[in-house]
Formats: sequence, C-alpha cells, structure tokens
Amino acid sequence: MNRHSFLLPLIVAVLLPFLSNGVKGAEEHLVIPKSYDPFGFLKPVPVNISGFTGEADAVLKTDLTFMGVQHVPLEQAEYLVTGSTAGRVEGQLVNKATKNQLFARAYTGGSTRAQIHAFADDIAKQLTGLPGIAQTKMSFKAEAGLGRSEVYIADYDGHGPLAVTSDQSIIAGPTWRDSVTLLYSSYKLGNPYIFSHQLKTGARAAVARHPGGNYSPAVSPDGSRVAMILSKSGSPDLYVANIDGSGLKQLTTTREAEFSPCWSPDGKLICYGSRERGAALLFSVSASGGAPRHLATTGAPNPTEPDWSPDGKWIAFTSQTRTFQIHIVPANGGNGGTSIELVEGEDPSWAPNSRALIFCRGRDHAKQLSLLDVPTKRVKTLPRILESNSQPSWAK
Amino acid sequence: MHKRLSAPVNIMKLAKFSYLLAIGLALSLAAVGCRKGLDKTTSIPGRGTARIGDDSSQPRPLPATNPTIPNDFTPTTTTLPDPTKPIEQADGDRFRDWKENREEFAAQTVYFDFDKSNVKPGEVGKLEEVARRMKSNFQGKALRIEGHCDERGTEEYNRALGDRRALSVREKLAALGLDPAMLPTITFGEEKPADAGHTDAAFAKNRRAELILLSPP
Repeated sequence: MNRHSFLLPLIVAVLLPFLSNGVKGAEEHLVIPKSYDPFGFLKPVPVNISGFTGEADAVLKTDLTFMGVQHVPLEQAEYLVTGSTAGRVEGQLVNKATKNQLFARAYTGGSTRAQIHAFADDIAKQLTGLPGIAQTKMSFKAEAGLGRSEVYIADYDGHGPLAVTSDQSIIAGPTWRDSVTLLYSSYKLGNPYIFSHQLKTGARAAVARHPGGNYSPAVSPDGSRVAMILSKSGSPDLYVANIDGSGLKQLTTTREAEFSPCWSPDGKLICYGSRERGAALLFSVSASGGAPRHLATTGAPNPTEPDWSPDGKWIAFTSQTRTFQIHIVPANGGNGGTSIELVEGEDPSWAPNSRALIFCRGRDHAKQLSLLDVPTKRVKTLPRILESNSQPSWAK
Repeated sequence: MHKRLSAPVNIMKLAKFSYLLAIGLALSLAAVGCRKGLDKTTSIPGRGTARIGDDSSQPRPLPATNPTIPNDFTPTTTTLPDPTKPIEQADGDRFRDWKENREEFAAQTVYFDFDKSNVKPGEVGKLEEVARRMKSNFQGKALRIEGHCDERGTEEYNRALGDRRALSVREKLAALGLDPAMLPTITFGEEKPADAGHTDAAFAKNRRAELILLSPP
C-alpha cells in the first residue's frame, strides 16, 4: 500500500517590492468591487496573465478558472497578473486602471506546480474573498475492472494520484473526515462495511460493521458524527452515529430504500434521498431525529446524490432522465424549489469555495472525473486513472 | 404501584370470567336448542332429504355437542411475517467460511422490473421451488441472496436498490418457511453486471437477485 506524507509542500510567500516595474509599491487594501449574477454567484473577475509559460501558465489559468477569476485579452482585463518561474515562482497582482499593486510575492519550497497553486490561491482570495482551492485534494473511486476498485486521492485537478487502498476488492463512497482521514465502504470482509482510514499511518478502524449493508458514509462538518445507510433492520435506512460508530441512532424507518446522505454546513440537518413515495426524492431531517421534510427539485426528476454547498446556499444533486444531469437547487427551498440544470454528469461534490464542483460522467465502468465552475458552466475533464473513476469527494 | 397494577388485573380477570360465562351459556343454549329441535323433529331446510323414510318414532342418537369439522378443514395456524415490518438481517460474517455453490440455484435467479424491488408474480414460482428444495435437500445449509442493478441509476442509489431487492427475495423465502437467520443478503448495486452490454436486453439480465447455496465448513 502506498504511504505518503500529506503535508503540503511548505510554501514560503515573500513579499517583494516590484518598484522597477513602474507600479506603486504599497499593497492596495481597497475593497475589490464585485459583481454578481442573478443567482448570487460572483461574476468572473477578468485578469490578463503574462510572463508564465508551459505547465505553469496552464496550471495558473486552470486554477483561476475554478475560483472566479478568468484570463482574458489585455484590453478586457481589470487586473494584471505578471510573474516568472525562473528558479522560484514570483508574481504580482496589479490593478490595471490605477496601477496599484495588490501584492507581489515569491514562493519557495515544493514543486513549481505547488508554488503556482499557492500563487493562484493568493490571487483568488485577493480578488474574490473566497477560500482558495488550488492546494486542495480530492478522493475518488478508481475501478481496475468489474468488481475491483480502490480508493484514490489526488490534487483537486487530478494531478499526482495516489492509491489509498490495495485490497483488490470493491470500495464505495470515499469521503473526507479531515485532511488526513477518509471514510469509505469496503467489501474486503464480505459485506460492505464502513471503515475509517488514517492516511498518514494506513491504520483502519471499522465504523459500521452491522449485519447487511453498511454504506454511503457522510461525515458531519465538525468531524464528530457520521450519517450512513444501514440495512441491519431489514431495509436500507438512514442512521447517524458518533464518528467511531458508537451511539447509533436510526433516523428513518421506511420499507423503501434511503440513500446518499449529506450534511448541512451547520451540522444540524441531513439531506438524503428516499424511494419512500415510490420514486427517488430528496428529503432533509434533523440530525437528532424528527419528521423528514421533502426538498422540492422542480424540473429535475429522480434526484439522487445531494451535496450541500459549504456556504449553505445550494444543494447540488444528480437528476436522471435518459441521461444524468448535474443540478443545483436552493437549500432553503427558495426559487419555488426550481432547480438549475448545469451539465451532463453524476455525483457532484462541492469545492470549499462553494463555486466549483467535481463530478463524473461517462458509461458505467468507463467514467471520468471533471471539474465544473458552476456560474460559467466551464468544464475541465481530468485524466483517467485505471479504467473508471467515480464518486469524487472534495477534501474539506 | 401495586394498586395501579391490581386494578387492570382485576378487570382483566372479570372480563375473562364473563367471557367464559358467555361461552358456557351459549353452548348450553345451543345444546338445549338442538335437543328441542330433535324432539320436535322439525325439518330444517336442507336436512329434509335425510329424513325421507325416517321413522320419527324411533329413538335417535344425539348429535355430538361439538360439531365435528372434517379433518381436512381444520385450520392450522402459521404466524405470517408482518408485511409492514422488515425482518432483521442475518449476520453475514457468520457464513464467511461457508462453501459457496453458485450453480445449484442458478436457474432460479430472480429478475426485476426497471427501478423496482418487488418480486414479480411471475418470479414467485422460482422461490417456491428454492424453498421446497432447501427444506427437502439442504437442511442446515444457508442461502446468500445477492442483489444487483442495471447501470441506469446512480451508484449509491443502486447500492440501496440492490439491497432492497435482495431483502424482498429474503422476505418471500421467509414467508415460504425458510429461517431468515439462514438467509444473509448482500448488495452489489451496479458493481457486477451479468452482461456488460449497454442494451435493454443487457439491463434486464442485470436487474437480478442471485441465490448462492452455502454449506458449513
């Protein structure tokens, strides 16, 4: 099994005065004017990037695309991103109109790629106020053949994939508890049981090993609890437990199947799917129990795989007609529960910036992961590992 | 505590007693009624034919006080599983070392309609045969039910649907008299299609529950 230290390369940002470039040396601490689309998403901030070549240039542009910053021709730009990769990544962000420098930094340690990611995060944070995602990780399921799959992790853009398991069994639904712990189901012992896996040590502990099915784990935002589907009572029902599996509580008791739970960012509600009324519908229920409430997804039949955005505003999910489509719907039931169709695909997982999604698409057993910038619907397909990649989960 | 408990007990006793009284009264009335009827030899509709040629002056044996129902009509009581309540799962771990026989019931693989988990009427015959053979030939053996789906459905949705399909088969087999503790289930969702094709015919073959005979090590 692969072992790896998941500490990000130490990135040292050094403030540099770029006085020779003819711009004002002091960092600008003005409020960046922002404009929003009708759904409340920030419109991409137009920047012109120059001075970078090859991989560094491509990585920087991709990173910014999924963080609300768009590379445009010079004449359309409001901000200028300039820099170089000679020896170390150096870069600066300048307001084109005022020539005010927002920052100038040099990055040392780690690979050029890692330094570019750090630079991209700094640009995005400065211009959008949203958390950077360029240095985040994601996990996914990689199939080596029918009935053989492993848990993988990689950079958010699919770079540097690492096998977390090598059980030559079936795994399902990997999801993050924190930056160094994953939960997933494994068929290694026969029935699917839920395990917690420490990435640094490889240590595994059973979280749910009840008779019947144990699957679809979802960890509460504070990492203290797990929602999951267990069929120990004789029907697949929604349960919640402490993160070690103790204190198990059954939240649904339907005769039909419940599936794919997720948490609200405040940890109070669990959104999940149920066939209780004959076809798949989304519901939310208090994590401490109570009556479930139907979440309307008007215009999106057969909703499954909900994922609550970290800012609490949206629930992304998969709708199924003849194909699968990614939709979002206001989490508070607003907009009359009318969902917004985005692109063809399945199993969306939100980025920490509540703007980008990672999802999968393609024929069964030949799926590929993709990134999506929700407001612009820009998509980037990620390189495939083994035969099929699915069930992506963006690290917290 | 005692007082509160004793009151309903007394009422219960009283209720029981009056119930017995009522039965006793009813039975004695019935007996009296019968004798009366016989004494007068009033012809009762439907019985008249039996009386043709009867000499009513001859003493007749009294009918038994308890009407005798022919043996083949005697009801036998079987506790049926409550269809509103699921049957608790069998512990799959218990059968981990048991020997698999996938051929024995290969012809009894149960197929499902698209997005459905109920056992179709046309598939019940297969389970009746499985139950019969399990009882007559495979005492002490277990049966693992594997639930599968076609690819039209998202992954974890299908995992739950496959689970529900396996459990529907298990409930049917339990209703047919097999011990649910010997019927472990497992869902594979869309992980293991029987036919890797992407046609409707392939999908139909993939929506299934396979039955695997398990023998103790």
